[in-house]
Amino acid sequence: MREIQVLLLGAFFLFIPLLARSGDTPPVPTTKVNVHSLGPERIGDLPPVPVPVNNPQTSKNILLGKQLYFDTRLSKDNTISCASCHSPDKGFSDAGPTSKGIKDQLGGRRSMPVINAAYNPLQFWDGRAESLEEQAKGPIQNPVEMGNTHENALKTLNSIPGYVDSFKQVFGSTPITIDQVAQAIAAFERTVVTTDSLFDRYVRGDEKSLTAQEKMGLEIFNGKGHCTACHWGGNFSDGRFHNLAVTQVGPLQVDKGRFDVTQDPEDLGKFRTMTVRDAALRAPYLHDGAEKTLEDLLEFYNRGGGKDPNLDPLMVPLGLFREEIQALAAFIKNALTSLNPEAAKVQPIPASNLPK
Amino acid sequence: MKKIYISTLVITALLFLLPIPSQAIPAFARNHGFNCNMCHTAFPKLNDFGQRVRDNGYQIPGQQGHEKNVLETPIPLSLRTTPGVSLYHGESGNTLGFGVYGLDLLGAGVLHKDISFLLIYTPRIDEPAGDFTGSNNGSNPGQLGSLESANIVFSNLVKDAVNLRIGRFEPAYQVFSSKRNFYIFQPYEIIGYASPASGAAFGDNQVGLELSGHFRNGFKYALGVVNGTGGIADNNLFKDFYLNLVQVFGKGDGQSAGQRVGLFGYLGEQPTRTGGATSPYTGSNNGQDNNLLFRFGGDLSLNWKTFNLIFLYLVGIDDQAFNLVSPDESYIYSGGFVELDYAGLLNNRLIGSLLYNFVLPPSSASETKVHSVSALGRYYLGDWTAVNVALHGEYTFKLTGDDNTIKEHLFSFLVDFDL
Repeated sequence: MREIQVLLLGAFFLFIPLLARSGDTPPVPTTKVNVHSLGPERIGDLPPVPVPVNNPQTSKNILLGKQLYFDTRLSKDNTISCASCHSPDKGFSDAGPTSKGIKDQLGGRRSMPVINAAYNPLQFWDGRAESLEEQAKGPIQNPVEMGNTHENALKTLNSIPGYVDSFKQVFGSTPITIDQVAQAIAAFERTVVTTDSLFDRYVRGDEKSLTAQEKMGLEIFNGKGHCTACHWGGNFSDGRFHNLAVTQVGPLQVDKGRFDVTQDPEDLGKFRTMTVRDAALRAPYLHDGAEKTLEDLLEFYNRGGGKDPNLDPLMVPLGLFREEIQALAAFIKNALTSLNPEAAKVQPIPASNLPK
Repeated sequence: MKKIYISTLVITALLFLLPIPSQAIPAFARNHGFNCNMCHTAFPKLNDFGQRVRDNGYQIPGQQGHEKNVLETPIPLSLRTTPGVSLYHGESGNTLGFGVYGLDLLGAGVLHKDISFLLIYTPRIDEPAGDFTGSNNGSNPGQLGSLESANIVFSNLVKDAVNLRIGRFEPAYQVFSSKRNFYIFQPYEIIGYASPASGAAFGDNQVGLELSGHFRNGFKYALGVVNGTGGIADNNLFKDFYLNLVQVFGKGDGQSAGQRVGLFGYLGEQPTRTGGATSPYTGSNNGQDNNLLFRFGGDLSLNWKTFNLIFLYLVGIDDQAFNLVSPDESYIYSGGFVELDYAGLLNNRLIGSLLYNFVLPPSSASETKVHSVSALGRYYLGDWTAVNVALHGEYTFKLTGDDNTIKEHLFSFLVDFDL
């Protein structure tokens, strides 16, 4: 009898890897949920920035992208640049709640942070762009953002000798194309990453970098607060889409989110998970800026989100005490705010220094 | 005197023989890089998130297919043990002793999208050092442990609505899991109660299969077919069936938020004869003179802030063939429990709980009537990074018999270690 039980137990353990091996082929990302990696991943250091093979990072490319990023001449009336809505001093977002484009037109959604956008498997709140390059083309011709057309923008750039020179040096050809513009901007955005925060120092072994309250906040973040169910990995984001039943405010009466891209009813009201890194710099929060402060946002999560038939099953009331919310806020504000000079202190290029 | 002897024997069995029934599964937490209380209010009790993970075949809800499988994660093994000291004070006197009151070895993980497994092996921990050469008849120290759970889950056969669990598992009608509650020594008395001759193992893990589903409107169901004899063979062809219906109101899953109400029913048969002889209820033969037994009842789980109040009431009807004392009448009994749990201090580091159990047997078995009150406190040390150490204190005062003839006190203090 003893032998039989031991044999059965052994057989069960052998059976497990056999079954699992049959599933060795990684699941193919669907068009609905594009993922860099299977998760959840432990929160910690960021991996190296993923760079597409057809757009390598070079100093000239990055500089050109930075010039374009701060150049209002990409917009129809020369008033709006990428930095207008993705400003370094606002955590690469803006004051919100939603963004103002040309002629003070109000956009329907909150400006997305450029910080660590390089790690997003899909761009925009609804994931309609599959790369930074594709994303960079969008706002130029969005009527409520830069309000331009690609043709007009290129006509402008091709009329500026300084840019023509730079593009020729970087890409080896002229006239300037929209793909080249997008590639340069994307190359610059791939430098806006946060690799140094008090949290990063803590996970690298500096125990004193966090206060007791911040350590408690980290513990709650990864446990009772359920934050890492979605905000996981080095970038504190699963890059996927969730319906939090956010109260719709701002100019849009209804925002269907990811549904607009996939037309899948299951994607109604879903928006992409934001990185929590540098979150303290970019209130208000959520896709429409409905939650004004970080504490408001945490209270929203503590209630289990809003009400919606498609509410994500990950959303449940958390039962957090006030002190726990304070600890979470302290962790996010102090420990996850970037100390990187290259990311947090990107200096805008004055118009006078842009190519002429 | 006999009652005292039996009672002492039962307590002794609880303290020294039975494996600790409850469990958390740190392997899951490590696989995901989560802390334990992502899924547990405080281990081993599941919170709403944990319940949804369990309902989804140990996959994060909505993320199935996008998780690492068991080969891409750390070895999915965990253990739990509970060394400590206990003091029993009863009619027969006092016993005070140190012990290791349980050891569970747990393995669990996702094999493939929507296919997962759970394995719990509970070895004997009181074997003598040398090999025991006697027969393994279940009553000697040579008995090995058992596979408390060994099941595979096929999830989302129909998205959320149909999930299949096969093997030995904790059936869904045990809505307040005896495996994942805070009490270590004090069981939910009514769950394990049965007529002495029926052999029904209602409170045990069962071998069989279970279909279950959960819906966005808070409705859940589970339909199972099992041997009905726990982990051992069933000596009749007729299998036992159960149905469990649950409705959750409000956000949450009724574990740590939301309000939950449920109904359950169980229909089983056990043999009383094999050929011309009295039949054991287990064995390889097809027993004869199968007789019916029913269990049905309702349950409630109410949440307010970090308080959780649970209530269960159960009625059991065993055929008169199982009633050895009054064979002319069915063996009808009822009972239940009320429990109030509180999670306090930062990050639910402190747990307090009160529990009242009652069992109302038929008049012919009034000596098995039970009223008990229990209280416990647990304090969790360290942080929650998938390794847990809890200091556990528990007290029970139990009255047994028609005139409360047996009074017992049990104090225990343990270190509950989970890795």
